[in-house]
Amino acid sequence: MGFLAPWFLAGAAALGLPLYLHLLQRHQTTPRSFSSLMFFERRTQSSIKHRRLRYWLLLSLRLAVLLLLALAFANPFINRSAASMASDRLLLVVLDDSFSMRAGSRLADAKRDALSVLHARKPSERAQVMALGSQLAVLTQATQDAGELRSAVESIGPGDSRASFGELGRAIRAMAEGIATPIELDLFSDLQKSAMPASFAEMALPANVSLVLHDVSKDAVPNWTIESVDAPGQVWDPKKARVEAVVAGYHTPAATRTVSLAVNGKTVAMRTVALAANGRTSVEFQGLDVPYGFSRCEVRIDSADILPADDVSLFAVERSDPRRVLFVHEPSDSRSPLYFHAALDAGAEEAFAMDTIAVEQTTNANPSPYALVVISDVLSLPAPFEQQLQKYVQGGGSVLVAAGTSAAHRPRVPLFDERIVGPHYYSSEGERFLTVGASDPSYPFVDKAGRLEGIKFYFAVSVDPGNAQVISRLTDQTPLLLEKKMGEGRVLLLASGLDNLTNDFPLHPSFVPFVEQTARYLAGIENRSGARVVDSFLDLRTAKEQSVGVEVIDPDGRRPLSLKEAATTKTYQLSRAGFYQLRLANGRQDLVGVNPDRRESDLDVMPDDVLALWRGNANAAPEQALVAPSQPAQEQKKPDSLWWYAVLLLLIAAVAESVVSSHYLGTQREGP
Amino acid sequence: MVQRFLDPTVLTSISSLELVAKTVVEGFVAGLHRSPNFGFSQEFAEYQAYSPGDDLRHIDWNVFARTERAYLKKYRGETNTLLTVLLDASNSMKYTSHAVTKMDYARYMAASLFYLTGVTQRDAAGLIVFDDELREYIRPSTRQGQLHRLLSALEHAEPRARTDYAKPIHHFQDFLRRRGFVVIISDFYDQPDTIVRTLEPLRFHGNEVILFHVLDPQEIQPKLNAPSTLVDMETQETMEVTPDYARTEYRAKMDAHLQALRDRAQGAGMDYYLMVTDRPLDDALREYLTMRQGRL
Repeated sequence: MGFLAPWFLAGAAALGLPLYLHLLQRHQTTPRSFSSLMFFERRTQSSIKHRRLRYWLLLSLRLAVLLLLALAFANPFINRSAASMASDRLLLVVLDDSFSMRAGSRLADAKRDALSVLHARKPSERAQVMALGSQLAVLTQATQDAGELRSAVESIGPGDSRASFGELGRAIRAMAEGIATPIELDLFSDLQKSAMPASFAEMALPANVSLVLHDVSKDAVPNWTIESVDAPGQVWDPKKARVEAVVAGYHTPAATRTVSLAVNGKTVAMRTVALAANGRTSVEFQGLDVPYGFSRCEVRIDSADILPADDVSLFAVERSDPRRVLFVHEPSDSRSPLYFHAALDAGAEEAFAMDTIAVEQTTNANPSPYALVVISDVLSLPAPFEQQLQKYVQGGGSVLVAAGTSAAHRPRVPLFDERIVGPHYYSSEGERFLTVGASDPSYPFVDKAGRLEGIKFYFAVSVDPGNAQVISRLTDQTPLLLEKKMGEGRVLLLASGLDNLTNDFPLHPSFVPFVEQTARYLAGIENRSGARVVDSFLDLRTAKEQSVGVEVIDPDGRRPLSLKEAATTKTYQLSRAGFYQLRLANGRQDLVGVNPDRRESDLDVMPDDVLALWRGNANAAPEQALVAPSQPAQEQKKPDSLWWYAVLLLLIAAVAESVVSSHYLGTQREGP
Repeated sequence: MVQRFLDPTVLTSISSLELVAKTVVEGFVAGLHRSPNFGFSQEFAEYQAYSPGDDLRHIDWNVFARTERAYLKKYRGETNTLLTVLLDASNSMKYTSHAVTKMDYARYMAASLFYLTGVTQRDAAGLIVFDDELREYIRPSTRQGQLHRLLSALEHAEPRARTDYAKPIHHFQDFLRRRGFVVIISDFYDQPDTIVRTLEPLRFHGNEVILFHVLDPQEIQPKLNAPSTLVDMETQETMEVTPDYARTEYRAKMDAHLQALRDRAQGAGMDYYLMVTDRPLDDALREYLTMRQGRL
């Protein structure tokens, strides 16, 4: 027996207090006057003796209360062997159902071993079954029901998640806080090295948990995999699309492998690559001939290893026509359409097709077919076209207005409809130019363009923001970029020109991402990737899209979301590998190819010293790090806290003392 | 109604001792169901046939005129008696277990006797207050204001010191010139032989001696629930006693003491009455009047 906090035993010195009060201190009664003691006889000795006998029970209870209080603070424990506590312990069976357990017969072996451990346990011993992936899934509560436990083990199927021993450690630590009895954790896993967390402390287990490892791996085995695929999510020109895959081998000899690209189940390209031992190489497929709409694509390798599930990498591609952009400019301005067109072609990968038109030709122009209209520093817009633009924006269209020197003498910005305070000719002022002072990086065209830093602005129009939102300001606080929502659409105002006369922006490297991101932002085109990783989350709706139903169809064709979840949930975790069909809250259809985390393809096992350390047996021989289920913890001494017993006895003694003392003291109070 | 005013507990709420005495006596008198026969004026008693040698002055000539027979008119004798109250004012008389101390009870009793004798019967009354010394002496008298003097002396008689009968009785004998009633009100915490031996000389002088033994109920049957330390109110001696002793041996000793004192007093021709302070005062008055009636 020991004490976790032995210094609190010093509190036992308080036992002297009731001893003094009861036995050593002379009983002090309040003297009572009596008319004459003529007929009394002194009976002092018998009186004290009687009193001592009478208070013996009270003294005992008070001593017990103080002693138990000191014991409770000292937190006593006894070292009990694991064998002696076998009837109290909880057998925790955890099966690794991560993606790597698909290799060979690992999962079947693990389930068979788990069933044998459950079968060998005592009938009175409680057990619990859990499955370990990226999360620890509780399949049963602690129970003695062998049938329930067996069913839980048999129900475990191969998963696509990545195992995390850090998550296992965290979950077991949280669980052990509420369980005072010893826990034997039997982990059936391939003990993949890649499942280890960055810090060993994350997978450490509490003192009352004894870890028994059941390794079902057959050491490190060769495995080839498609490590990654770089493919566009959207394709506008199939000839210009490019797919690049990285093929990697773990514990593999040098070999030649065939890598193929398949679209909608039909192989469209094949490459033969030579892989070095334990090496990786990239494979490039030029051109991606996919039909319009969504296509299910995959890159496959003929690996012939024990984990064929990682020989394929899925991705989805959407083919559509380029979005049209209408660029309106003054006839004398040939620079701005040139720069803008060049930047759009360079950055947007054929996503946009730009039509250029002089302002005097816009009288009968119809902006409605265009995804975006750019008005570059025009003196004035023909009234019919301006009315058309207003209808276009009100209906959901987007317009980028660049206010250059032509707007300097106008009272208002066309279409943007905010008052012009006045022009700033910085080139003729002392500063010669100004740069951007403050920007809102939440806008992608600001963030991707390096917050517009380093750009020299020689001229800018000072516009009263009014109801517009200022995105960027120059260093003199002149608004540079403003956004104004009008109806369903929006208008973005650049308070300078798109040529290289009013600024050097077109010559600056950030001009290309700025134009590309601005066009995508205003046209409503997002950068999408057609491939995700298992256990990643999909955003189904934004904060503004509440109570709009979404739809998710998993690789098996089932709808995993209930009606309530479909109307409320904001994200969805992709728990399976395969293609997910989505209908998002904004009405857009999508297709996503989901692949397992490629770290699961590395079947290398944890080092023996790490395993020994994890088991709390760091000094054991490597071959002893993994032991049979019946052997562990038999010789191990485990502290079994007696704190609860001490507190329980303390409560009982305190209640008894209260009853007894109130009885005695109550009698004295009633006395004359 | 009568009993309520005779209840000692009720009397404690009356501040004036004269009012207490008046309340007690008038309440007591009103409670008697027969005409009082203890008037002081000459009262007709009976007719007796004249026989030679009788005093002719006592012949009722009116009767002789009507009947021509000579009858002597006999009157009840007019006797003025003398009441002397000896009041024990020792510390033990302060004891009480309820609202009335023994001293208060003794005061009420003495005051009632004084009121009864002085106002109603016109007897001479005197007072001696004593402890171990003679502290107050008021000569028996029927003078105007005697009652007030007596009551005032009673009010100023505060218990102190301890009881010693010998010295005050010795002095008292010096004051006794006439026979009468001697009422001794005390708790008599002494040996019965000593008490009676000390008081016997009073009896030898022809006095009628009445002992009113005033005790608190707790003194007769003390109730202790726990071992207690008791302090003698006269000697300041402390003693730790047990409930068992108080319940058994003390009571036996007290009963023996009371019995011995009663026997010794009656053996010496004295009247003895135990007055417990939770009982009404009319017992004391009735006892006194009965004795006076019988002895005169």
